[in-house]
Amino acid sequence: MTSTLEARELVVVREDRRILDGASILVPPGEAVAIQGPSGSGKSTFARALATLLEPDAGAVLLGGLDAQRIAPTQFRTRVAFLAQQPAMFEGSVLRNLEAGPQVHGKSLSDVRASELIRAVGLDEPILQREARTLSGGEKQRVALARALANEPEVLLLDEPTAALDPDAGERIVALLRELRARGLSVVMVTHEESHARALGGTLYRCERGRLAIDS
Amino acid sequence: MSYAHITLPRLLLSLALIAVAIALSRRGRLGLERDLVWGALRGAAQLIAIGYVLLLLFNHEHPAWVVLLLAVMLGVAGATAARRVEHGPPRTVLFSRAIAAIGAGTLVAVVPVFAAVVPLHPWYEARYLVPISGMMLSNAMNVVALVFERIFASARSEADQVEALLALGATPRQALERQVRATLRAALLPTINGLLTVGLVALPGMMTGQIVSGTPPEQAVRYQIVILYQLVAVAAVAGMVAVGFARRLLFTGRAQLVLPRN
Ligand SMILES: Nc1ncnc2c1ncn2[C@@H]1O[C@H](COP(=O)(O)OP(=O)(O)O)[C@@H](O)[C@H]1O
Ligand SMILES: [Mg+2]
Repeated sequence: MTSTLEARELVVVREDRRILDGASILVPPGEAVAIQGPSGSGKSTFARALATLLEPDAGAVLLGGLDAQRIAPTQFRTRVAFLAQQPAMFEGSVLRNLEAGPQVHGKSLSDVRASELIRAVGLDEPILQREARTLSGGEKQRVALARALANEPEVLLLDEPTAALDPDAGERIVALLRELRARGLSVVMVTHEESHARALGGTLYRCERGRLAIDS
Repeated sequence: MSYAHITLPRLLLSLALIAVAIALSRRGRLGLERDLVWGALRGAAQLIAIGYVLLLLFNHEHPAWVVLLLAVMLGVAGATAARRVEHGPPRTVLFSRAIAAIGAGTLVAVVPVFAAVVPLHPWYEARYLVPISGMMLSNAMNVVALVFERIFASARSEADQVEALLALGATPRQALERQVRATLRAALLPTINGLLTVGLVALPGMMTGQIVSGTPPEQAVRYQIVILYQLVAVAAVAGMVAVGFARRLLFTGRAQLVLPRN
């Protein structure tokens, strides 16, 4: 079951500046949404607010029609997975990284499931034993995806997943996101790159000066 | 009791020791000369003052005076622990929390011991209560200062990891667990090292003093053992309480990491 994710009129003020100035978005179940906009337009701030990692000064985030304030943060973030632009790897192997999500929920991750996850993001099993912090940028991005997927989220929320990668690796990540969407996940991708935003193949929002508008 | 008398000229002679440090600071351009001079004068003034205070206190042992002195000591310890925390909340925010952490640690270590192990007559018997509480306050102060110094710095430098854990649905406690563990280990290490080296490297002043002034050695040693164990409890409790406060300052009620700006 996937739920609708929605942001209503988010406002974030920092140092007397409205970084978000009434930003809204609607992500229906199983849809893909790209948010494209110039650097400094407020995309990261919006993504973090949508992930409840940052409290907006006004406005609301809703999941399945329910105000995020009324959902425990731990539960909300299990259902809506957020990936930062350059995801931090935890110390230890890739496998240890994949186990992190289930572990905070008091669960364990089976070997079969770990293999499934790592293959789902286009990597091979041997990588499970490698030190996560020594991976390349593209591999880290994929491991972070697999790590998020271990929580079986309904929505994937990614901040510039392709920005730190070479064009080839970037396109492969977008292709992977399309695949994950085809399996029923909602995908929200923030990017400053027009071509990647289009390649995701869903609704395209433009971000400018802290506001979002659908590009038609 | 006979002891080597320190005349005032002899006392002034000992200032040469500070001069050595000042000379080295000059040579190495450490810029510590002012701190050294100020510290030397201040330390001497404080000790002279407390000498008179203790004399007064022992002669007019009244609970109000004893409690007042302990309160002043607690206040100074709190102010010191809350000072100069880089990357942390302002001193004013930390001060009350430092007081609470130091106070809690000291109470846990002091009250049961004076109730059950070293009974005092009366309960405010200053010659035990004041110096032993002082040792506890001082240890708690060091632990709390270390905790504050380290936890805010590591939350900042490892913010991306803490947030990555939050994003996986971790509670603030889980998200900060690594940093908390490293912080508490570092803060407790000096106390534990003290346990391991006592008698081998450092001879505790109070025990030595008791033996010098005629207390049977085995009794003086027992006092010292109790004090050592108290120091451990103080460090553990003060450190835990300080970490709890730091955690509440680092996260909102909605489990969001907020890094104090300064
Ligand atoms: N905590 C903050 N305090 C002050 N300004 C901030 C803060 N966070 C972001 N900003 C500013 O808000 C604007 C939008 O930032 P961001 O959301 O990162 O944009 P984008 O991801 O689109 O590049 C930038 O000008 C940035 O400098
Ligand atoms: Mg950004």
